[in-house]
Amino acid sequence: MQRRLFLALIVLTACGSPARRPAGPPPPARRIVSLLPSFTEILFDIGAGDRIVGRTTWCDYPPAALAVPSVGDGMPPNIEAVAARRPDLVVLYNSGPNVTAARQLERIGIRTVLLDLNRLEDLGPATRTLGRLAGLEQRADSLARVMDGFTSSHPPPPPSSTVAFVVWDNPPIIIGRGSYLDELATLAGARNVFHDVAAPSSQVSLETIAARDPQWIAVLSDSAETPAFARRREWRAVRAVRERHFLLLRGSLFGRPGPRSGQAVLELRALLVRNDLVGAQHAAPLHEAPRR
Amino acid sequence: MKWTLLVVAAALALVASVVLGPAAVPLGELLHSDIVWNLRVPRALLAFLVGGSLGVAGAGLQALVRNPLADPFLLGLSGGAGLGAVLAIALHLSGPWALPIAAFVGALAALALVYRLGLIGGAALDPRILLLGGVAVGAFAAAITTAIVSLADAVELRNAFLWLWGGLSSASWDAVLVVALYAPIPLAVLYAASRPLDLLALGEEPAGYLGADVAAVKRRVYLAASLLTAAAVAVSGVIGFVGLVVPHIARLTWGHRHRVLLPAAFIGGGALLTFADTLARTVVAPRELPVGVVTALIGVPVFAMLLRRWTIA
Repeated sequence: MQRRLFLALIVLTACGSPARRPAGPPPPARRIVSLLPSFTEILFDIGAGDRIVGRTTWCDYPPAALAVPSVGDGMPPNIEAVAARRPDLVVLYNSGPNVTAARQLERIGIRTVLLDLNRLEDLGPATRTLGRLAGLEQRADSLARVMDGFTSSHPPPPPSSTVAFVVWDNPPIIIGRGSYLDELATLAGARNVFHDVAAPSSQVSLETIAARDPQWIAVLSDSAETPAFARRREWRAVRAVRERHFLLLRGSLFGRPGPRSGQAVLELRALLVRNDLVGAQHAAPLHEAPRR
Repeated sequence: MKWTLLVVAAALALVASVVLGPAAVPLGELLHSDIVWNLRVPRALLAFLVGGSLGVAGAGLQALVRNPLADPFLLGLSGGAGLGAVLAIALHLSGPWALPIAAFVGALAALALVYRLGLIGGAALDPRILLLGGVAVGAFAAAITTAIVSLADAVELRNAFLWLWGGLSSASWDAVLVVALYAPIPLAVLYAASRPLDLLALGEEPAGYLGADVAAVKRRVYLAASLLTAAAVAVSGVIGFVGLVVPHIARLTWGHRHRVLLPAAFIGGGALLTFADTLARTVVAPRELPVGVVTALIGVPVFAMLLRRWTIA
C-alpha cells in the first residue's frame, strides 16, 4: 500500500510543472471539476461535495450532484468549459484523450490528476489520492478501507448461477474479465461465462453465447422493459433469451465502480437468489411477472 | 475448368461455414443442432447472398461509371444508411427490425438524392456527376451522423458505428427470406442489361450507334445496383472490398463480357464473404473479428497477385 501511495505521489508530482510551484505539498483543492461519475460520488462521500464546481452530464449521483454546473459529457473534455469554472483541481479518468486534455489544462496553470478506475481494486487508491488532494485524508481513508473490503474481506460465495453481460446486440459485445462487472458478478455469486476473455469487452458471435448457455443475460438498462433484441429471431437460439431470463441492471448503480459498488453486489445477489428460487418453483423469473 | 473451380470453392465455403464455428458441435449432431440450424445456416446463406449482391452491384457500377475504383458504397449509400440507423437509435425507435428498416430508408434517400443530382445534366446520368454527387451526399450524411452522435446523450449511439462497420451477426431465417425474395429482381435487371453494359465499355456514343438505349440502360443499372446495395447494407452494414475487388478478379479471369462476368461476380462474391465470415467467427474464438477486416485481408492480396500477373502478361 505504501509503495502504491509513493508511486501515486511520483505520478502526481510528474503531472505538475514543479518550476512554477513553491516547495511543499500544494494546499487542499477548493474548486474541483470531476470528469467521471465515480469520482463525483467518491468526492461527495468523503465530504468534498461542496467543493465540486463542475461535473459531467453523466454525474447523476448523489442527487446533490445535479445542482453542480455541468461542463459537458467529458468525452473528450471541453477544455474551455472546464477552465471557465476556474478550478484549482481537475480529476480525470486515465485514458488517451484525457491525457491530452490534462496536458492542455496544465498548460494554462490548472492542476490535474489522472486516475485509473477500471477494477474494484482501483477504488481504494483513487479514493485515498482524492482525499489527500482535498485535504480530507481521514474520511477518504475510512471510505477506502470499506472499498478495499469489497474485494478482500469476505471470500465470494461459490458461483451458483451463470451470467453473460451483453452491452450491445449487433454485433454482440460482451463483458470480459477486464471489466469490474466481471468482479461484481463473482462477488454476487455468479460466474461470467466470458471470464476467459481478458479484455474489458469484446465482440463475440451469437453462437458462442448460445453454446456457453448462460442462465442469465445481464443488460445495463434504465428501462424496465426487456431489450429489443429479445424479440429478434436469431437471439432465440440463446436459451436465457428464449426463457426471458434477463437481469436488467440500472446504469447509474451498476454502470460504474464507486462507493455504492457494495450495494450493487448485494442487489445483484438478491436478484439472482430471488430469481433462482422463483425459477425453481414456477420456471418464470419474478421480475418479469408484473409486466405480463 | 474455371467455373468448376469457382463452384467448388463456393460449395466448400458454404460447407465450411456450416461445419465450423466457435461452438463445438459434433459432426453427427449437425442436423439436429439448434446452433447450426438457427444460427450457422442462415448466417452462411445471408453471407452468400450479400456477398454475391455486392459483387454484382460493384461490377455493374464499375461498368456504368467506367471507373475501376467504383464500389457499391462509393455512391453515398453507406452514409445514408448510417444516418438512418443513427436516427433510429436517437429517436428510440424500438422493435426488432427498426435498425435495418431505418438503414434501408436512409440508403434509399441517399440514392434518390444522388440520382436527382445525376439528372442535372439531362436524362443521361453523367458518370462524373454521379460519382461526385455520391461522394458529396455520403460526406454530408456522415457529417450529420457525427453531429448527432456527438450531441445526443444516448450512450448506445457510439455503438451504432460498430453496426455500420459491417457484420452478419443479425443473420436469421427472416433476413435470409427477405433478401432471397428481394435480391433476384435487381439481379435479373442487371443481368438483362449485360449486352448494353458490354457496349457501354466502348463509350457512350459508340454504344448508342450500336443500338443500346444508353440513357435508359444507365438509369436501370444505377437503380438496380443501388437497390441491391441498400438491401445489403440494411442486413449487414457496410462490408468493404467485396464489391470492389471481386468484380476485378472476375474480370481478370473471365474477361469483360457481362453475361459471364455477372454470374462469376455473384458466386465469387458469395464465396469470398462466406469464407471471410467463417474465419471472422473462428480464428480468434471466443472473440470475433469484424468481417470487413477479413474480406480486406483475403481480397486485397488475391487482387494484387492477379493484377501483377495481368500486367506482366
